[in-house]
Amino acid sequence: MFRGFAVSFDLVGTAMMQLSDHGEYEGALRVNIHDEWFPIAEIGYGKANHELDEVTGITYRTKAPYFRIGIDKNLLKDKHGPYRLYGGLRYGFTSYKVDLEHQNFPDPVWQWDTGFGVKDEPCSYHWLEAVLGVDAKIFGPLHLGWSVRYKRRIAHDDGVIGKTWYVPGFGIHGDTRLGGTFNVIIDI
Amino acid sequence: MRKLLFVIVAVWLAACSSIDCPVQNIVSVQYEIRDKAGAALSIKDTLSVVTTRLDGSNVLLDITTLLDGKNVILNKLIDKSAFSLPISYSHPEDVLFFCFTDTVKTVVDTVWIEKDDIPHFESVDCSASFFHELKGVRFTRNAIDSLVLLNKSVTYDQETVHFRLVPKSSD
Repeated sequence: MFRGFAVSFDLVGTAMMQLSDHGEYEGALRVNIHDEWFPIAEIGYGKANHELDEVTGITYRTKAPYFRIGIDKNLLKDKHGPYRLYGGLRYGFTSYKVDLEHQNFPDPVWQWDTGFGVKDEPCSYHWLEAVLGVDAKIFGPLHLGWSVRYKRRIAHDDGVIGKTWYVPGFGIHGDTRLGGTFNVIIDI
Repeated sequence: MRKLLFVIVAVWLAACSSIDCPVQNIVSVQYEIRDKAGAALSIKDTLSVVTTRLDGSNVLLDITTLLDGKNVILNKLIDKSAFSLPISYSHPEDVLFFCFTDTVKTVVDTVWIEKDDIPHFESVDCSASFFHELKGVRFTRNAIDSLVLLNKSVTYDQETVHFRLVPKSSD
């Protein structure tokens, strides 16, 4: 019944961290039950540092851990082969703090200098994901895999600032609901 | 070829993003003009509203100078029963001069609007804005009979009326 564990690390979030102003470092622990059911826990650290937007002049910073828990099912007929096609669900949660700054700008009517900023505004986010993924054995315990995810927010607290922009683990709110990972997986 | 097409579509889907800034993003205070019975009243005297900019100049300005200058925020409203006025981004109290002009003279009332200013953030792609909580209003009674605060919350909502103005000429 129980066929071991696998640990994995996502490369997409790491690449985004290097190539843009936000991204995640994420790892996962997956339990193998009969090559058919795979309970999984994902833990990551998401970070955004959007300095002085060139159009709006807004600076947005946040960093926080996030957690996902869920289960995948091997959809292939041959459950015990070297390749797997996963379909699964996740529940995700994060609690994070946002720093928001806007450089001073004049009130259009009264001409007073106005700026706004908040620091360490506490926020939280709960969401669900539907996952479709692939896992292929390369050699020995090493696998490579990717997944496509459809994310949906189920509860949130954006603090007093209105809305939040980047949410650790979820991504940019209001952007596309699709996301993906590319995983390096090692069987234990 | 089909595999290439699939990859292109997948990459395009993942690359899609949108900027969801609200189309209606003006924050202003809505006024309705009513008679003492509460019925809608089209104002017959020309109404202009002016304010003074915080540029260090003396606030006791001659009213004709105010009406001709850049400080006019509502200009010669007539035969209307509603109007909207801007509200300052961040100042605890706005001071407005309501100038009612008939064929003979101009009567001026001063209105002080006390408020809290709440920064509102949508996205790093959207301009900064402020929402407001109106805390109270004081006014002189030269031409204004009453100015009642109806709703305290000033947001992007242009339908909610915040003040009811009853002019003395509505007798």
